[in-house]
Amino acid sequence: MQLELALPLLLLLAVAAGLVGALTGLGGGVVVIPALVLLFGVPVPDAIGVGAVTILASSSAAGAAYVREHLSDLRIGMFLEIATVPGALIGASTTVILTHASLDSILLVALGIVLLLIVPGTLSRRHVEIPEAVQPDARSQRLGLSGEYHDHVLDRDVEYHAARTTPALGVMFGAGLVSGMFGIGAGVFKVLALEKYLSLPMKVATATSNFMIGVTAAAGTGILFAAGFIDPVIAAPVALGTALGAFGGSRLLPHLRNRTVRWVFVPFIILLAIESILRGFGIG
Amino acid sequence: MTTPADGPQLPDVEYRRMSLILRLGLSTSLVLLIGGLLVYLVQHPYLGFDQALAHNPILQYLGFTGLVDGLAAGNMAAVLTLGLLALVATPILRVMTGFYYFRHGGERTMAQVTLTVLILLLFGILVLGPILR
Repeated sequence: MQLELALPLLLLLAVAAGLVGALTGLGGGVVVIPALVLLFGVPVPDAIGVGAVTILASSSAAGAAYVREHLSDLRIGMFLEIATVPGALIGASTTVILTHASLDSILLVALGIVLLLIVPGTLSRRHVEIPEAVQPDARSQRLGLSGEYHDHVLDRDVEYHAARTTPALGVMFGAGLVSGMFGIGAGVFKVLALEKYLSLPMKVATATSNFMIGVTAAAGTGILFAAGFIDPVIAAPVALGTALGAFGGSRLLPHLRNRTVRWVFVPFIILLAIESILRGFGIG
Repeated sequence: MTTPADGPQLPDVEYRRMSLILRLGLSTSLVLLIGGLLVYLVQHPYLGFDQALAHNPILQYLGFTGLVDGLAAGNMAAVLTLGLLALVATPILRVMTGFYYFRHGGERTMAQVTLTVLILLLFGILVLGPILR
């Protein structure tokens, strides 16, 4: 295939990936990485590198809009980065080492299993619009991890407080590990930690996840970039497309009901899990 | 013990500053990446997708001196490298802004948190990455 034909196709793929990534907080890599490998024949390490670039682009694009609308909680996001960044450094380093040893298939299977374990918990909470009666823990109170946003759909201001920061930090470390290792946003884990453990409203969780994904990805991408995993000829159209898609998604999010966002979110966890397991076993 | 300097939520100006950093960083990197790619394609008109995959053009520009020399020579692969670096640097700049805000607001714990994140990010890119290369 000539490059002139492949690049517009990559651009279209990336627009779709950015849109989905912004709406769900997953990041565009979830769609981009398997599509690059399966449709374009890109080697897995290179696809991971491009995936990391899409995360950076979509996080900056969607993050800019979410931050401007005060949907992202900057304080909570920056606090949790203390856990995601070390995870991403370890994850990306592991990928570089494992790629040379051709052992990354085991980790892909493990990722799929972990994601499938998340789904029941996500489904069981799907009717919760806004968490009620949340008790902030001592750390949350000390650091002021609380806030308020205006919900356009409910047409009222929603106040929230972060609870259970310790388990949230643990999940965030895992999110960073997965993000650095696989070049995905790992928004699945971030949204889980923000919503289930910190008990934040779904929209704040999604927007804050998007805000955090960029810093996590910057940690992993730096290592992948230095290792030569990122080819800019492929990464450039993907970054542009993802940014455009993410920008569109971020404009849609404030006007969607939380349940709608969640129903977009759940199928993508399942798809990601199945894709990881199949690829881990060398199928597909 | 530290207490939030200005209430739980950061002031609106901080949100605007963060949003501006993200937009400017993304715009700069996309201009460099897309502009660099278009010129690169004009310079390599018959390049196939498989050929592009097999040869990553930026490998020789990953070091600081190589990048500077490449940019001085007007090499498009060096421009593409700079575009990727701008993309990576955008969230790092955002962390620096956060550190500056918390430090000047007297929030010692949050300043320490953001400084640690900043040091880890720089360690990964400047030390760990090159070691693994």
